Amino acid sequence: MTAAEGPVPAEPARRIQPDALDIGIAAVVVALVVAGALTDRFFSLANARAILAAAASTGITAIGATLVMIAGSAVSLAVAQTASVVAMVFLATQQLGLAAAILLGLLCGVAITALQGAVVGFWAANPIVTTIAAGFAVGGIATWISGGTTVYPRVAAFDGLNSTPLGLPLAVYVLLALTALAQWVLRRTTVGKRLYLLGENPAAARAAGLPVAWVTVAAWAFFGACIALTGVFLAAFNTSATAGLGGTLSLDAIAAVLAGGTAIGGGHGSALRTLGGAVLISVISDLLLLRGFSTGIQLLAKGLLVLFVVIAVHVRSARGRR
Amino acid sequence: MSAGQAPAGQARRRAGLAAAGRLTSRPEILVPAVSLLLVLAAFLCTPLVSGNGLTAFDLFNTLQGLAQLGLLALGLGITMIAGEFDLSVAGTYAAGGMIAVQAGQSSAVLGVLAAVGAGAAIGAAQGGLVAAVRIPSLPVTLATYIALLGLASAMSGGLSVTYANTAATLALDRPVAVIFSLPSLITLAAFAIAALVLGGTRLGREVRAVGGDRRASRVAGVRVERTLVGLFTASGALAALGGALLSYSRASANPDPGLQPLILATVACLVGGVSLAGGRGLPAGLLAGLLAVALLGQIDAMTALPDYYTELLYAALLLVIVAVDAPGLRRGLDRLRAGAANRRGPLAR
Repeated sequence: MTAAEGPVPAEPARRIQPDALDIGIAAVVVALVVAGALTDRFFSLANARAILAAAASTGITAIGATLVMIAGSAVSLAVAQTASVVAMVFLATQQLGLAAAILLGLLCGVAITALQGAVVGFWAANPIVTTIAAGFAVGGIATWISGGTTVYPRVAAFDGLNSTPLGLPLAVYVLLALTALAQWVLRRTTVGKRLYLLGENPAAARAAGLPVAWVTVAAWAFFGACIALTGVFLAAFNTSATAGLGGTLSLDAIAAVLAGGTAIGGGHGSALRTLGGAVLISVISDLLLLRGFSTGIQLLAKGLLVLFVVIAVHVRSARGRR
Repeated sequence: MSAGQAPAGQARRRAGLAAAGRLTSRPEILVPAVSLLLVLAAFLCTPLVSGNGLTAFDLFNTLQGLAQLGLLALGLGITMIAGEFDLSVAGTYAAGGMIAVQAGQSSAVLGVLAAVGAGAAIGAAQGGLVAAVRIPSLPVTLATYIALLGLASAMSGGLSVTYANTAATLALDRPVAVIFSLPSLITLAAFAIAALVLGGTRLGREVRAVGGDRRASRVAGVRVERTLVGLFTASGALAALGGALLSYSRASANPDPGLQPLILATVACLVGGVSLAGGRGLPAGLLAGLLAVALLGQIDAMTALPDYYTELLYAALLLVIVAVDAPGLRRGLDRLRAGAANRRGPLAR
């Protein structure tokens, strides 16, 4: 999409100058704080916990999706199925112990997702078509092996995953750690710089001799690990798994990435932004819930928020290019 | 086909080769044709598995399945040809079904009109946005998809709403000319209109130009913005009509149909030879792809095979399409083919 644009100013320099988007986000945050102050029980420890737990449920996957989107592969529609399969593998291998079960789940998620990354990277295949195909394959194989039934663990080694150190669910710490890791990779490592270049201008990345396909595979592998962790937490939380456990995770994760202001065309964005997007979405949903609005209104608000951010980000980057 | 004075058999073979060459270079015909033939063959073989012969009722059911998905797939397909991916059709589909049921309790026609009007307005707003800001449609329509699901759910308090007008439901599901029904006839008519408009008018050429190379088509004087607004309006109206007919025929509107309709409509488009990259695709191919998907669904129902067979089949079908469409893979194959052709001499191509 941004094939033939000139050099783009470095991300940090642009973030310092406030513009319409930053002002808009600030206005939203102020409005949320005011609305929160007027809402009973919004500013409470229990509610903060609920917000962060909700953010973690999509945020972990969204962090992985951020890297893939920065590298230029718009979206994956196989996320929910992959998370479900990982949850099934994780529960079915509980008798091997927690570490082994997590490791197997991670392996499974990384393998499935990195394979899609390889198809996208090496064949330059369309990520949407590839991931729809992968979603069918993963879902089909999962139903085939499980016989379409619910997977229950023989022993429950996963109880530790549902613990709440310092009052916060473990998944929240994992989300924060993954955000820090992804942010470090994106900003401080060669792989990170290559991801931005690949998303910004794939032709230039290829011309510069970057191992484009392998960089893509690396991003997708990390994405797979993030999906797998989400699947593991889903399994531990639900204590059983079906092929439909992933639910609406595929699009929820993309919504969080987009709400954070990462551009769908690739080349821009950060893990911190995605963390912000995930938290923002869960704050708004939580606020609406506390004020007694239905799930429908919560979804509507989430969609409008994503719409606003997507347009604002696009208008800003289009202006920056002129 | 300049066969010249070569013997007839050779001429025919060369003509055949040339036609095959044209077909492989035209995936918008080859992909749907091959897929439909394969699925048709499988459909004709179902009596071997199920033990029951094929009846006209099976065809009726296939066409009912086609009608459930058809208008959604058509709306998605025409935007895809123009290089956009309109995820929101699935939201409009749900919202349209909900609006039709709630506005059409007394008069079915009124409900359909309300749904189609709302769908067209939603589509026009999105098209206007995409055209004015020149933003890729995927993120915009993902956001509106979520918002529209929310709207449909808010309209019904998150619950399914039953449609009490049983006369309308019965009328929609009554067979017409043995194998057709009102929804399937409407769907086929919509495809016929789309084929006429896209195949025979300047607008059709402009749609493909917009999808093929937007910058060049703008330079060449194509009214890109108008075309986009028109396409999104049409896709919104089609999706809403599809949703309305579906809820009438099911006698209830579901606020959250999930991702399945969208995914299946996308599969129908892709199997129909429409490229997500834009600029490629024909309504006739799209109809063939849709028929293939509907037949697969019917095969599934007739043979009572487990669901995962269909899922794995879709995966295999889509993988073939991935391979056909992948530029990286094609470059590699072209190199191989060029090498082989050089060894055989120029005539063999």
